[in-house]
Amino acid sequence: MNRLEQLKSTGNKAFVAYIMAGDGGLDRLKEQVQYLQTAGVTAIEIGIPFSDPVADGPTIEAAGNRALKQGVTLQKVLEELQSWTFQVEIPLLVMTYLNPVLKFGVERFATECGKAGVSGVIIPDLPFEHKQLVQPYVDKEGIKLIQLVTLTTTDARLNDILSEAEGFVYAVTVKGITGSRDEMSEEVKAFMRKVREKSPVPVYAGFGISKSSHVEMLRDDVDGFIVGSAIVEAFNDDRIQEIEPLIHAVTASHSI
Amino acid sequence: MTKVKICGLKEEQHVKAAKRADAIGFVFAPSKRQVTIEQAAELAKHIPADTDKIGVFVNASLKEIEDTIAGVPLTMVQLHGDEPDELVQAIQVPVIQAFSIRTKEDVGKLKKSQADYILVDAPGTEYRGGSGNVFDWSLLDGADIDPSRLIVAGGLNPGNVHAAIGQTAPYMVDVSSGVETDGRKDTAKIQEFIKQVKDDSMEQTIEKTGFFGKYGGQFVPETLMKAVKELEDAYEAVKEDPEFHKEYHHYLSEYVGREQPLTFAKRMTEALGGPKIYLKREDLNHTGAHKVNNAIGQALLAMRMGKRKIVAETGAGQHGVATATICALFDLECVIFMGEEDIKRQQLNVFRMKLLGARVESVTKGSATLKDAVNEALRYWVSNVEDTHYLIGSALGPHPFPTMVRDFQSVIGEETKRQILDKEGRLPDAILACVGGGSNAIGMFYPFIKDKDVQLIGVEAAGEGVDTDKHAATLTKGTEGVLHGALMKLLQDDAGQVQEAHSISAGLDYPGIGPEHAYLADIGRVEYRSITDEEALAAVISMSRLEGIIPALESAHAIAEAEKQAKTMTADQILVICVSGRGDKDMATYAEKLEGLS
Ligand SMILES: Cc1ncc(COP(=O)(O)O)c(C=O)c1O
Repeated sequence: MNRLEQLKSTGNKAFVAYIMAGDGGLDRLKEQVQYLQTAGVTAIEIGIPFSDPVADGPTIEAAGNRALKQGVTLQKVLEELQSWTFQVEIPLLVMTYLNPVLKFGVERFATECGKAGVSGVIIPDLPFEHKQLVQPYVDKEGIKLIQLVTLTTTDARLNDILSEAEGFVYAVTVKGITGSRDEMSEEVKAFMRKVREKSPVPVYAGFGISKSSHVEMLRDDVDGFIVGSAIVEAFNDDRIQEIEPLIHAVTASHSI
Repeated sequence: MTKVKICGLKEEQHVKAAKRADAIGFVFAPSKRQVTIEQAAELAKHIPADTDKIGVFVNASLKEIEDTIAGVPLTMVQLHGDEPDELVQAIQVPVIQAFSIRTKEDVGKLKKSQADYILVDAPGTEYRGGSGNVFDWSLLDGADIDPSRLIVAGGLNPGNVHAAIGQTAPYMVDVSSGVETDGRKDTAKIQEFIKQVKDDSMEQTIEKTGFFGKYGGQFVPETLMKAVKELEDAYEAVKEDPEFHKEYHHYLSEYVGREQPLTFAKRMTEALGGPKIYLKREDLNHTGAHKVNNAIGQALLAMRMGKRKIVAETGAGQHGVATATICALFDLECVIFMGEEDIKRQQLNVFRMKLLGARVESVTKGSATLKDAVNEALRYWVSNVEDTHYLIGSALGPHPFPTMVRDFQSVIGEETKRQILDKEGRLPDAILACVGGGSNAIGMFYPFIKDKDVQLIGVEAAGEGVDTDKHAATLTKGTEGVLHGALMKLLQDDAGQVQEAHSISAGLDYPGIGPEHAYLADIGRVEYRSITDEEALAAVISMSRLEGIIPALESAHAIAEAEKQAKTMTADQILVICVSGRGDKDMATYAEKLEGLS
C-alpha cells in the first residue's frame, strides 16, 4: 500500500516538512531526512531546485539557488534517494517544477521515483487541466500526484479537483507565493473547512505556516500542515532544533 | 470525468478537429486506417503536449512497438492481438489491452489482464482492432471491473456515447468509425462526439485550451488559474464585440498615430540590387515601438474586467514605457519589473517610465534580465491577482496571452497586407521580422500565414554566435520546455534548468520563444534564422545612412537578415521588413559600440 494512504487512519494531525534537496550540499539530505524522521514529522517533501521557481518566495528560491550552485539536479537527487540503506519509515514526496521532469522524461521520472520509494509528487506548475501529462506514468508506479487548491480556486473547479484527488490535498493558505507569514485570516479558516468537507482525502494546509499560532488557528479545520520556508531557513542557519516545538504543536494528540 | 479518445486518424485536419480530445489513436496494424511512423510523427506535431498519443498494434514485436514509441513519440500503447503478459509488462509506457466481448465469459478474461487499462470492444468482423459494432454494455454489469481502468469502445457515436458513459462510467471512451462518413473521418462528427462527452460534464469549466500544435497551454500555479480563466473568458467576449474593436482602433489612430506607412526603401533597394524593399514603420508609433499596440488592447480589456492595477515586465524598456504611457492615459496604477542589467542598459527608458508615473522595480535575481523580470511580475500577480492585470509584453505566457497579444499585434500585418496590395497589386515574396518573445513577428506574420507563397522569416539574436554560450537563438538552439506558463522552445541545460540568454539587444534577450512560433517552426511555415550582435550593429549604420531611419537594435536584426535575403532575390520580387522600433532608446549603446564612427 502507498504510505500516503496510511496517513489519515492515524488520527493525529500530520506535519509535512519541506526541504530543499542539496541546500548545503546533497550529502546533507540524508541527515536532514533522518533528523526530521526522528523529530516526528509525518512525511517529507523533497524540493528539487529550479532556475525559475515562480510559486516560491525568496527563502525557498534562495535555497534553490544555493543547491543549483552545488550542481544539484533531479537525477542526482533521485540517485541519492535510491542509494539510501537506512530505514525510511515515513512517506517521501518529491516537489518539482514541471520543466526538469519534462527534460528528464516523465516516464523515467515516474520509474526512478518508484525505485526511490517516493510515495507522491507535487508539481506546482502542472494544473489539473494538464495533469494527463504525468498522471498515467505515476499511476503505473502507484505514486500519487498531489493536487493543490487555493483561495482563488472556484467552487466548480474545487469539485472537479477534489473528485480526482489522491494522497492528500495541498490547500494553499495564502493568495501568494511560499514564505513565512504573520497572520492567517478568517477567510482561510472558512476555506479550509469547505475543502475538508468535500475532500475524499486528508487536507493539509501549506504556504506561510511558520508558527504555533498558525497551527492553533487552523488545527480544527485541517488534517495537517506543510511547513517549508521556516524549515529551510532553520536548516540553513543551523538551528533546526528550534523547529521541534512547532512539530510537536502539530503532531501532539489533542484532547479537549 | 470521462476522457475521449479519437482513434484511427490519418489527416492533419482531423487531428486538429480533435484538439479537445484527451487522446489520439494511431493505428499501426494492417487496417484501412493504418499509418506509418513517419506519418504519425508528422501528425503528432499538431497535437497538444498533454494529449495522449496512443499507438494501436496487433501482435507486433516489442522492438516494433519500442521503435514506434520513440519515433512518433507515443505516450501509450494499445494492444489488440493475443499479446502475452510478458510483452504487456515489458512495454515502458502505460498499456491498454483490448478485449472483444461477446459473452460473460469474455468479461472474465479481461479481469486477468496485466495492462494498465482495459479496453472493451465489440468483436471484430473484418479487421482486428475494432469493427464498429455496437457492444452490449449490459454485459459489464456486475463484472466488478475497476472503472478507472476501463475504456469503452465499439459502435460508439455522438448519439449513443452519453448512454455508454451513463451505463459504465469508464475512464475513457474510444471512437473511430462512429466519427466517420463513408469510411473517412468527419470533422463535424469528431467535434460533436467530443462535445457530447465534455459539455455535459463539469469539465466545461476545467478544460485544457490554448495550444498551438503541442505548444502553449496554461502551466501556472493553481492560484493563477482563476485569473487566467477569467481573462480567457473576458477576451473571448471582447473578441466578438464591435464596440471593443472600435475603442481599440480609436486609440490606435488618435493616440498611437496609426496607420503607419509602408515605406518604399529606395536607396536600400538600390544598394542591395535585389528585390524592392518596403519597411513597415512601427518605429513611428507613439512611444517608439510596436509594443503600444498590445498595451492599449490589454489595458482596455483590464478595465472591462474592472481591474485598475497593472503589473508588467520589460526588457528593453519599450514595453514598460508603452505600459506606463497607457496607464497614465487611462489613470491606472502601474508597476513595472525590470532586470537590473537592463536598467543599466536602458536608463533613458527607466526615467521615461518614472516620469510617466510608474513604479519601476529592479530585479536582481538570476540573470537580472527579461526572464527574471517575468518571474517577478508573475509572483507579483500571484500575490495581487484579485485586482491586478498582468499586462504581458510579448506573445508569451499562459493561454490566452499568446493568442491575445498576437491578435492585438496583428494590426501590423493587416495594414501591411492592405498597403502592399494598394502599392503593388500583389503580396510580397518575403517578410522578415525580429523575434524576442515573438510579438511583432507574429503580428506581422499572422495575416499572411495562409498565403503559402509569402516566405516568412523570423530573426533571432545570435549574440556572439550560436556556437558560443552567449546567444538568444531559441529556435535554432533550444529544446522543448515549460517556462512562464507555456510549453515552448527554451535554452536549457541537461537538467532542465533555464539558461541565460545573451544579446546586445535587451528586447531579444530572452531564453524562450512564444508557443505559436515554436509550432510554426515545427511545421516549417516560418523559417527562423539568427543574426549576431555585430551584424545587427552594422545594419543600424546602413539603415541610418541609406534611409535616414535609425532603427532599434532589435529591428536591426531583421534588417541585417534582410540584407542577406535580398542577395538571393531578384528585381521583380518584393521584400518587407518589420521595423519594430526606433533607435532612440539604444543611443547610449550605439555611442559606446560605434565610437569613432566616421
Ligand atoms: C523595438 C523592439 N522590437 C522587438 C522587440 C522584441 O519583442 P517581440 O519579439 O515580442 O516583438 C522588442 C522588445 O522589447 C522591442 O523593443
